[in-house]
Amino acid sequence: MLRVIGLKLVRLVPVLFIVSAATSLLIELVPGDPILAIIGTEGHPEDYERIERELGLDQNVAARYLDWLGNIVQGDFGEQITRPGVTVADRLKQTFPVTIEIAMIGMGLALLISVPVGTWAAYRAGTRFDRFSSGSAFGIISIPSFLAGLLLVFLFVFNATIPRYGVLVLGLAWSIWLLWSAGREQRGGGGGVIVRIAAAVVVAGLTVWLTNKWPSFPRQGFVRWTSDEGRLENLRSAFLPAVTVALTEIAVFMRLLRGDVQATLQEDYILSARAKGMPPVRILARDALRPSSFSLITLAGVAFGRLIGGTVIVEAIFRLPGMGTLIVNDGVNTGDFPIVQGGVLILATFYVVLNGAIDVSYSYLDPRLRRGR
Amino acid sequence: MSETTNDTIALGEAEVRARSAEPRPFWLWPLLPIGIAVIFVGTMVLNDVTAEIRVALVLAGIVGGYFGLDALCQRRWGSSFDTSAWLSGFWLVLIGLSAITVAWLPLQESKLVKNTIGDTPRLRPDLFSEHPLGTNSQALDILGGVMWGARTSLIISLGAVAIGLLIGGIIGIAAGYYRGPFDSGVGILADSLLAFPPLILLVAMATIFTQNQWTMALELSLLGIPTYIRLARANTLTFAQREFVLAAKSMGSGDRRVIFRELMPNVALPMVSYAFLVTAVLIVAEASLSFLGVGIQPPEPTWGNMIEAGQENYKDHPHLVFVPGIVMFMTVFALNRVGDKARERWDPREAQI
Repeated sequence: MLRVIGLKLVRLVPVLFIVSAATSLLIELVPGDPILAIIGTEGHPEDYERIERELGLDQNVAARYLDWLGNIVQGDFGEQITRPGVTVADRLKQTFPVTIEIAMIGMGLALLISVPVGTWAAYRAGTRFDRFSSGSAFGIISIPSFLAGLLLVFLFVFNATIPRYGVLVLGLAWSIWLLWSAGREQRGGGGGVIVRIAAAVVVAGLTVWLTNKWPSFPRQGFVRWTSDEGRLENLRSAFLPAVTVALTEIAVFMRLLRGDVQATLQEDYILSARAKGMPPVRILARDALRPSSFSLITLAGVAFGRLIGGTVIVEAIFRLPGMGTLIVNDGVNTGDFPIVQGGVLILATFYVVLNGAIDVSYSYLDPRLRRGR
Repeated sequence: MSETTNDTIALGEAEVRARSAEPRPFWLWPLLPIGIAVIFVGTMVLNDVTAEIRVALVLAGIVGGYFGLDALCQRRWGSSFDTSAWLSGFWLVLIGLSAITVAWLPLQESKLVKNTIGDTPRLRPDLFSEHPLGTNSQALDILGGVMWGARTSLIISLGAVAIGLLIGGIIGIAAGYYRGPFDSGVGILADSLLAFPPLILLVAMATIFTQNQWTMALELSLLGIPTYIRLARANTLTFAQREFVLAAKSMGSGDRRVIFRELMPNVALPMVSYAFLVTAVLIVAEASLSFLGVGIQPPEPTWGNMIEAGQENYKDHPHLVFVPGIVMFMTVFALNRVGDKARERWDPREAQI
C-alpha cells in the first residue's frame, strides 16, 4: 500500500515540474507587459529599466523560473508585479475558496440528483422513466456550459415567473397523478394506498411552499461565506453558478450509474436477495449500488478536478472573483507571471493529487486490483 | 398501461426489456402532421401572442412531430430503427453543406456593418421574411452569421481533430508498442498536459498567436492529443499481443513495418470512431474561447462570438443568444449521438461489453 502511494508521489514531481516550467515559457511568450502596467505610458525609459532590474525581469526565462522555483520550495509565492506589496499567496487565499465552494456545491448537487435517478432508471430499464431520464441526460451533456449559464440566468433571473409557475403546475400535476394511482390501487385491491396519498399531500405541500417562497437569484457577484450578510446570501449567490457546473456532471454520472447498476442487477446475489423478499429500494440501495460506487468515486474525482480547473467560464458569466478570473484577468492579460505561476501550480497540484488519491483508493477498495498489481 | 405491471417484474428481466424496447405504436403517426401544423401556427399565424406561448407551442410541436416520425419510420424499417440518430446524421449533413456552400448563397449581409447602416437592428426571427432568423444589434443577418459560424467551427475543430489524431495516434502507438521508459515518459507528458487547466492554457495560447482558423486548430489540438495518446496506447496494447503481430515479427518485419502495416490499420478505426465525440468537445471549446473574447474576432462571425455579443441585451432580445445557441447545441448533440453509434460499432473494447 505504502509503495503504491510512494510511486504516485514520485510521479507527481515531474508532472508538476513540467507544468510549471511550461507555464513560465508560456507566460514569456504572452505579449502583456507588467511594467508598462505599473508605470503607464507616461513613464521614462530609465524608470522602465530601473523597475525591470528591481523586479529581476531583465533576466532570461530560465533564470527567472529557477528563482521562482527556489522560492516556491520554501513556500514563498512571491508578490504580484502589477500591484506591488500584494502577495500572490493572499490573492490565492481570496480566490481559491470561491472556486472550491462552487465546485463543491456543484458536485454535491450532481451526486444528490444523479444517484437516485440513475439507479431508478437502471431498475426500470426500458420504461418511460428510463427513456425520459436517459434522453434528457444525453441532451444535457450536449449543452455547452456557457449556454447553460446564460439559459439559467434567463430563466431564474430575468423571467423568474416561468420556472416558478412551471414548478407549481408540474408539482400539482404530480400530486394529482399520485392520488389517481392511489385510487387505482384501491380498486385493484393493491397495497400502498396510504403511502401514495401521503406522498401526494407532501408533494402538494412542498410545491405550494416552494412557489410561495421562491428565492430570487442575483445576476452576478458573490457574497462570501464569512461576510456579514450571512450564509444564506452566500448560498443564494453561489446557487446558479453551482447548478451551471453541476448540469453536465449530473448527466455524466447518471449515464455511468445506469449502465453500471443495470449490469449489477443481472448478478445472482441480487436474485437471491430478491428471492428472500427484500423490497426493491433496499436491494438497490444496499446491494446494487455498492459495487458501482468504485467507478462513481473515480468519475467524481476526475470531474471534481475538471471543475476546479474549468470554472473560468462560469466565473466570467456570473462575474465571480475566483481562480479562473484571477489567472486570466490579473495574470495572463498583463503578463503578471507570479500570479499565473502560482495559480496554475495550485490548480495542477489539486488535479494531480486528487487523481493520484483516487487511483490509490481504488486499488485499496477493490481487492481484485490489489492482487493484480 | 404497462406501468402497473412493472412492480411484479423480476429485476433480472429489466435488461431483457431494455434490449427489446417495445416499438412506438403505429397509431401515433398522425402526430407528425399535427406537430408540423402546430409549429406552423406557433411560428407564423400567432404573431400577436406572447413569446412564451409561441415557444411552448413550437416545442410541443417538435416533440409531437418526433413521436409521429418515429412511429412512421419504425413501421417502415423495423423497430430497431434509430430515428434520432438518423435525424442527427441529417443535421450534420445540413451543417456540413451549409459550411461548404455559404460563400455562394444569396444571403443578407452578415459580416460588414458598413453595409447595414440604416437597417433595422434586432429583428425577431420570422421565417419567410428577408431575415429568417432575425438580425443582431448591428442589423447583421443571423442566418448568414450562423452559417459562416458553422464553416469556421467545422474547419477549426476538424483541423484540430486531424492534427490530434495524427500526432497523438503515432505517439500512442509507439508508446504502446515499445513500452519501457519511452512509454512512461510519454505517460508523464500526457499527464502534464491533462493537469494543465485547459481553458487557461487556451487563453494564454490565444494571446500569443494572432487568432485565425489555423492557429486555433493548432491550439485546440493540444486538448485532443493526450486523449488520443491514451486511446491509441490502450488499443495498441491489446493488438500487440495478437498472433498476426507475432507472425509479422517472425517473418522478419522490422518495428516500423509492424507499426505502420500491422498496428496502425487496426488502431485507426476505433480512434476515428472517437473523432465525432472529440469534434463535439472541440466545437464547445472553440465557442468558449470566442465567448471569453479571445477566439476568432468579429467581423468574422462564429457561434461563440455571436452569443458573446448577444448576451449584452438578451434579456429583451433572447433570440440574439438562443438562435446561435440552439444551432450549436443541435450540432454538438448530433455529433454525440452519431459518435456514440460509431463507437458502439467500431471500438472493439466497447463492442465486447
